[in-house]
Amino acid sequence: MNSKAVTAVGALGLAMLLVGSTIGLFVAPAERHMGDVQRIMYVHVPSAWAALLCFTAAFGLAIASLWSAKPRYDALMVGTIETGVVFNALLLAQGMIWGHAAWGVWWDWDVRLTTSLVMLLLFAGVLGLRSFVDDTERRAAWSGAATIIAFVDVPLVYFCVRWWRSLHQIQSSPETVDRAMTLPLRINAIALLLMAIWWTVFRARLAMARRQEETVSQPARIRVAERYEHA
Amino acid sequence: MNVQNPQRFAPCNGSMGPAPSDAWKVSLPFPAAERRDMPFVDSEPRPRVVEARDLGRRFGSTWALAHVDLVVPRGQTVLLMGANGSGKTTLLRLLAGIYRATTGSLSVLGRALPAERMECRRHLSLVDHESYLYGRLTALETLRMWARFLGKQPSESALLELLAEVGLAEQRNAPADGFSAGMRKRLSLARTRLEQPQLLLLDEPMSALDGDGRRIVSSWIEECQQNGHTILMASHDIERVAPMCNRAVLLRQGQVAWDGKATEVVGNRVVGG
Amino acid sequence: MNVGMQTVAAARPGLGAQIFSMIRKDLLLEWRSRSRLVSLLLFGVVTLVLFSFAADADTARLRASAAGFLVIALLLSSTLALSESFRLERENSGIEGLLLLPADPIALFYGKALSSTLLLALLAPILAPIAIVLYSLNSSVGGLLAMLGIWALAAAGLAAPGTLYAAMTSRLQSRDVLLPILLFPLVVPVLLATVKALTLILNGDAMGQLRPWTLFLLSFDILHWSLGGILFSYVCEEA
Repeated sequence: MNSKAVTAVGALGLAMLLVGSTIGLFVAPAERHMGDVQRIMYVHVPSAWAALLCFTAAFGLAIASLWSAKPRYDALMVGTIETGVVFNALLLAQGMIWGHAAWGVWWDWDVRLTTSLVMLLLFAGVLGLRSFVDDTERRAAWSGAATIIAFVDVPLVYFCVRWWRSLHQIQSSPETVDRAMTLPLRINAIALLLMAIWWTVFRARLAMARRQEETVSQPARIRVAERYEHA
Repeated sequence: MNVQNPQRFAPCNGSMGPAPSDAWKVSLPFPAAERRDMPFVDSEPRPRVVEARDLGRRFGSTWALAHVDLVVPRGQTVLLMGANGSGKTTLLRLLAGIYRATTGSLSVLGRALPAERMECRRHLSLVDHESYLYGRLTALETLRMWARFLGKQPSESALLELLAEVGLAEQRNAPADGFSAGMRKRLSLARTRLEQPQLLLLDEPMSALDGDGRRIVSSWIEECQQNGHTILMASHDIERVAPMCNRAVLLRQGQVAWDGKATEVVGNRVVGG
Repeated sequence: MNVGMQTVAAARPGLGAQIFSMIRKDLLLEWRSRSRLVSLLLFGVVTLVLFSFAADADTARLRASAAGFLVIALLLSSTLALSESFRLERENSGIEGLLLLPADPIALFYGKALSSTLLLALLAPILAPIAIVLYSLNSSVGGLLAMLGIWALAAAGLAAPGTLYAAMTSRLQSRDVLLPILLFPLVVPVLLATVKALTLILNGDAMGQLRPWTLFLLSFDILHWSLGGILFSYVCEEA
């Protein structure tokens, strides 16, 4: 993708986020039980989707990177993980704000909250590992392997936290939602997706540039004085 | 950064390792006139044990090896010369398949690396700077462990005989932790006897060894040559080693700078590194 | 010359034989450094004792969290054991040496992971009775055996990803920090499942929940043991 197209995607995403959030904040009706606090859902749910999408993409790119050892996949993988970690952190912050309003505490060992915390730690760990490895090829291979392991672990974390908490609370089933509420949700979901693409491409380019800077092109071939093969 | 001039041996990149030592200044190549009588091509080409094309390996921002084209036919004994850091060890490790090449293609014993490295390793043996010893295992235990991984069940007496051959009979039950550099070398050399390779890769086989140890290595190299095996050895001890070789390759900053008959190296009293 | 060697046919050892050789080598090395094993054990005991102080020596509270303390003690010991085991390999490039022989990287991974599992599982018969005494737990012999079984599954769950990550981090300067950072979030499912299962064994299992938790632990083990075997050869360049 060329720079202009990427910027256009990002600008479109920002614009849509503005529109979606305006509708969510001022047009959509307040939720019956939670009141205005519920409006955080218009960014909270899309953040969760974007983070999960980023990590899923990172998983696919990690496999591609290990398989082909092409720098492009590695750079894109870093981009998706970094973007995913940002969305994941936002998700946690929004979840805590919601939790404070709903349950009166900043933190509750809720299934989704706990899972997203562990997920954040897992992928931040991958980025941490990367920062300690100097050799570019080795860095790509190791973080690829770590990404695959981390991604596969996420569902296990989700299920075990769910069973762990199953005695303490019962999951609330979604109520029927007003159409005026789904519209801003959908707009924001697309908006964050576009912004995720925007950030990922930027971070991937940065990763490629860094790699370029690290790698030194081969020295020029020197002339061999004699060429002698057969004894 | 003079990329155009291929005759310039000076580093073409500022980050290319330490400043050249005096060894770089040795005047090579030799005058071509002296070498006219030398047969350059065999009447019947032998199978190629090593075939490297534009081989390169980068570590971080340093190219330890670049543009190496090297073809070694079966039965040849090649001496690798070069100053410290010229890429001898990297080349040997690439051939053994412990390193992967950054660029170029490599086939060893007729098998492409790194795809068929497992098959390749079965027929080659590397004696490295690294002794690959576990300090807490005794000499005898180390040999037994290696034999087990090789799928051999040599009798206790055969292992003891091998230890005696490398002069470690008395230390058979001593842990390798307490070994001197020479003793470690002897023990790692014993490994090549267990492996019985078709291609022998020796990195400084004579270093750290006393006269007796060097004689053992020389006799083994001779035995390998008689069996038609191929040997590549890196050494700084050119006076001593070159007479055993029939070809010498000089590496300079990771590239092949000279490739010719080993006898010429001694005749010209060249010290490549 | 070494006639004895040449007369023996050199059939390549199969994967199983190589794994067995690897375990044998690892256990011999561990046995040679018994003092390290003892310190590992002492570390576990010290951790258990410290937890009683953290819980204010309240018997009821200690009893309720006993399983958790045991598992945390195991987890902390496991990072020590894993990084130490790979430090021994790194010291003289042991892994490269074995690969040159050539040993199959898959055999190296499973051998290493199995010997680490064995080592960690061996902590249980010593730490569990100490925990029973310290935290005044009531446990039957059957309960103790069930605990050891769960513990073995937990050890396996820590050993597989631990081996993979230790193989990477052992080459880095900051390995002692990096290994826990990578490993701890990953094994959250092992922790939760083991704590749950051990608590159920110790405090009674009225609703028959032990079986699903054990199965969950088992599936974590299967998943990570297969992933590790696939990924290990990418992690060792030389493999």
